[in-house]
This record gives sequence, structure tokens and C-alpha cells, in this order.
Amino acid sequence: MFVSAPARPLARDLDPAALAALSALAERTRPVAASRTRLLPVLPALAGLLPDGGLRRGTTLAVGRPGDDGGLSLALGLVAAASASGSWCALVGHPGLGAVAAADLGVDLGRLALLPRPGAAWAEATAAVLDGFDLVILCPPFAPRQSMARRLVARARERRSVLIVVPGRAGWPEPPDLQLRVDGAAWEGVDAGRGHLRRRQLTVTVAGRRAAARPVRQQLWLPAPDGTAVAAVGPPDPAA
Amino acid sequence: MDRLLVVRCPELLEEDEGGAVLRAFAEVIAAVEAYCPWVTPVRAGICSLPARGPARYFGGEGTLAELVQEAAEQVTPAEVGVADGLFAAVLAARRSLIVPAGGTPAFLAPLPVAVLGMDDLTALLDRLGIRTLGDFAVLPDPHVLGRLGADGAHAHRVAGGRSGEPAGLRQPRVTRLLAGEAAEEAPVVAEPGFWGGVSDADARAARCLAAAQELLGPDGVVTVRLQGGRSPAEQARFVTWTPGEAPRGAVPGAVRTGTGATGAPWPGRIPAPAPAVVHPEPVRADLAGTRGEPVRVSSRGLLTATPDRLSVEGGPWEPLSGWAGPWPSDERWWSRSRRRSARLQAVTVRGAHLLLAERGRWWVEATYG
Repeated sequence: MFVSAPARPLARDLDPAALAALSALAERTRPVAASRTRLLPVLPALAGLLPDGGLRRGTTLAVGRPGDDGGLSLALGLVAAASASGSWCALVGHPGLGAVAAADLGVDLGRLALLPRPGAAWAEATAAVLDGFDLVILCPPFAPRQSMARRLVARARERRSVLIVVPGRAGWPEPPDLQLRVDGAAWEGVDAGRGHLRRRQLTVTVAGRRAAARPVRQQLWLPAPDGTAVAAVGPPDPAA
Repeated sequence: MDRLLVVRCPELLEEDEGGAVLRAFAEVIAAVEAYCPWVTPVRAGICSLPARGPARYFGGEGTLAELVQEAAEQVTPAEVGVADGLFAAVLAARRSLIVPAGGTPAFLAPLPVAVLGMDDLTALLDRLGIRTLGDFAVLPDPHVLGRLGADGAHAHRVAGGRSGEPAGLRQPRVTRLLAGEAAEEAPVVAEPGFWGGVSDADARAARCLAAAQELLGPDGVVTVRLQGGRSPAEQARFVTWTPGEAPRGAVPGAVRTGTGATGAPWPGRIPAPAPAVVHPEPVRADLAGTRGEPVRVSSRGLLTATPDRLSVEGGPWEPLSGWAGPWPSDERWWSRSRRRSARLQAVTVRGAHLLLAERGRWWVEATYG
């Protein structure tokens, strides 16, 4: 038996009091908690780069292109806030992590596991850590086959982890949910023999699917003078 | 697997009570460091260094091996070998051999199973009629895992030249002693939240790491913590992860070194921010002035020419858009084998590097990647 739904009154037909009550109700019943647990936090400086303002669980991001300056820093910056708030993070395939830089960005080294030289077993090892880690940064040591890449993307989705690929020279054959590209990197602080490296301005372009279909470009200081990430607004700091 | 050069000093393999053996070994390490600043003590009387970068400098692995042996023998008799992975390189040193790249499985095959240093395994394999590493290596993986467990499976990969080292080859205590630190194991404090089943996420992470370690071998999973030090490499200590152990990085009050907020002064430390990549192996660099002349650091810590261009690993020259330094550092001033070095920051269009000059040679120590 069918019951036809009553015609829904249009908002403009309601009196203002009813409208206010309705919107208050809508505010209260919005699934805030659910959407929050779907997102892992990122540093405020990086929130503007991501369409949801955080890292959406189950997605794959690719950071940098072959030869990009700043790819690893950006990946570490992306995981820093979640790591600091208790998420476990694994770095697979990078034998030369600068631990001080990671800690200064905010990564909790107590919840960071390194699989520096996974060799031929890199894909299996990545799949193993995706099972129980919120965040996995993968620097593939060899060019991945498409089937391999696809399996890892599926594993991340299934386990609700975030897979951040830094393709380096090996490349990554599977289109990611979000692609972060470093379009420019400029260091400040050194002259001919004077000063010291103070900070680097990175120009990052983000493109992706769905909500992120329109590319976003943003400038940030990564690292800032204290090793953190800071959004760059306005003209460069005259003190530099 | 890493191409490693191993120095083995037969007279320094057993520690003595007075510490004379380790002091002599420290002198050997200092002598070898003249050729490469990346020397790692493995255990008493045995140290290793990555062979690839230095071999390029000195015209091949053979020449490098000769130079290193000569340097070490100024202190004590020494044997030198080169192979893929630490285990094969130690065995190669015992025989003064350079095993060609890729030749490690063939080199290991005729050696007796006992060289793995696992007595129970040796006895068991002997009963099965398996006497050499080659015989062991050809057994199918699933059988080995089923019959011999995870330790046996890892030894099996080592025997076949597929993994670098068996568990127990390194003596971390010796490394710590040589680094001038207390030899006692720091007591592992049970920290709330770790491994105790307090947090599901922690327990799940531990299970994943155990699975990854089974796949990659005991040295496959590593944790890191910060410590005091001058160079980016000295400021981090990497520790093999052990199931059931709290990651060391979580030690309360661990030094935060890059921010300049730490108490201990380290003269010669490069100011923050810290580089994101610290090269685990030496990367050769050449630095030239405007007329192409090599730039060196004088004994007074000054550059002999204005740096103008940089070449990394023998690659094309890249013009410098900026540079800073040198920061001289006179490391190990407390020991007889003091070494002078200096650091320089160099920026090219492809990125910024931290260069290290030692005894007239430049290395890329870290990259601000």
C-alpha cells in the first residue's frame, strides 16, 4: 500500500518563527561526529589545500612529481597534526628520513614506524601496515605495476587509512583522489656566504576528483624558520 | 641490498675488561673515516661502510679496499671485503674478497650452514642432510616457514642472499660504547597506552609491524628518537623495532633539537630548520669556484675559493643561487683521532643541500627535500 507524501511546503511559505526552529533543528541533527571521524586533522597551514579541510580516511593522495623539491616535507607536513593527535604513521621506502625535520613539523616520533628498505617486498609491506595504521607514506622503491597500485589503493579504502604516495622517480600509475604538486620552491636566508637557510616558500597546486576538480593553488612556508609549516599570505616577509 | 665494505680486525674481536680492545677499535674506525665519514661499528673488531659512493671517489672497490686496509693496518692487522648485505660482506672480509655486485648468492652457496651462527638451526638442518647455505637456500619458502618458523624463514632469506643480515650479528652495546655513551641498556619504561592493550590502535599497529617484520627481516622495521648532536645524522638514533617494546621515540623529555629550544649547546650546529632528508649513505659532491677550480676548506676553516657550482654524484654542474657557511666543527676533540670538518649550505635550482667537507673531499650529508 502506498501513502503519498504530503506536498513539502516551500521555505518561503513558512512563517519566520517556524523557519528558525527548523534551521535550529537541522543544525542539531547534522551528523557532525560522523563527518569528523571520517577526517584526520591537518596543520592549519595545510587545511586550505584539502577540499574537506582534513585528510579523508580511505583516500589516496599523491605528493610531488618526479624531481620535485619539497615532496617529502609536504608529505610529513600532511601527517603531522594527525600524528600529534594519536594516529600511527608509517614511512615505507625512504631510507633517509630527517628525523629532526619530521619532529619539528609536529610528527610524533613515538608513533612513527619506518620501513626504510623494503626491497622487492615493498607492496606487501605497505599492505601490511595499511591494515593498522591511519597514515602511510609510501615512497615506492621501484616503478609499481598498475595492478599493485590498485590493490594498495583498495586496501587503504577498505581499512579506512590514508595512503600518501611520494612517487619520486618510480612514479605511480593509479590516479589518486588528490594530487598535490609542488610548482615552485624558493629558499630565503642565504646570500653569497652569509646567513643560513631560513625558510622555503613552496607553491603547491592541488587537483583531484569530485569536490577537488577545480585546482587550488596556495603558497606556504615549509619549512618556516622554526621547522613548522605556515601559510604564506601577502608579500614575502621583509625580514628575510 | 646495500653494497658494503667490511673491515675485520682479528685481534680485536674479543672485548677485554680494561677496554683496550675497544679503544684500539675506535682508532681503527677513525683511520677508516679518512676515506668515508659513514663508518658504522657492527660489533667488536668489525665495522662497515657503504661502498658505492667512496668507490666512485677512489677509482673502484678494489682501490678503496686497499686504501682502507692500509689505513686500518696502521693500528692493527685488518681484513677487508666487499659484498651485498652485511652478512656476506663480513664473510667476504674474512676471506679478503670482493664479491661482485649480484654475486652474493653464489658466494654464499658453498659455505657451511654454521656460518649463520644459529646452533639449533645448524643441528636441525644437519639431521636433514642440509650442510651448505646453498642447499638451505633452495628449499621452498612455505616449507621453511612451516617447519622452521619466522626465525628460520629469515635465516633462509639470508642464506639465499635475499636479506642482509641474521639477527644477532650486530652488538648494539659496542656501538653505544664507541659513541661515548653508557653501555647499559636504558630500562624500557612501560608507558601507558603502549602495547598494554590500553589502546586498540596501538595494539593494532604492533600487530601490523610484527607482520611487516616477518616479511622484511629483523632489521626491516625501525623506530627513531632524537638525541643531542651536532649534525643532522647525529641528532637521530634509529633503533630496530622489537615486538612488545615501546617505540623509543616516545621517551618523555626527548630532545627536540631543531627548534633551538634545547638546552645543550652544540658548537658548530647548523641553525634550524633541519633538512627533511639525511642521506644514509655518502653521496659524493664536487664544489667548484667561478673558474672551475675545486673549492676546499683551509686548516683555518676558510674556503679557498668562492663556491660557484655544484655537482652531485658526478652529475652535471649546477650553478649555485646561494650558499652559506662554512661552519667548522672539530669533532671528537676529546679523542686522539680528532677530525676536522666543515659544513656548507648550497642552493641550486633543484634544491638545497647540506654539504660536509672532510680531508679535502665534499659529501652531500643532507638535503632539504
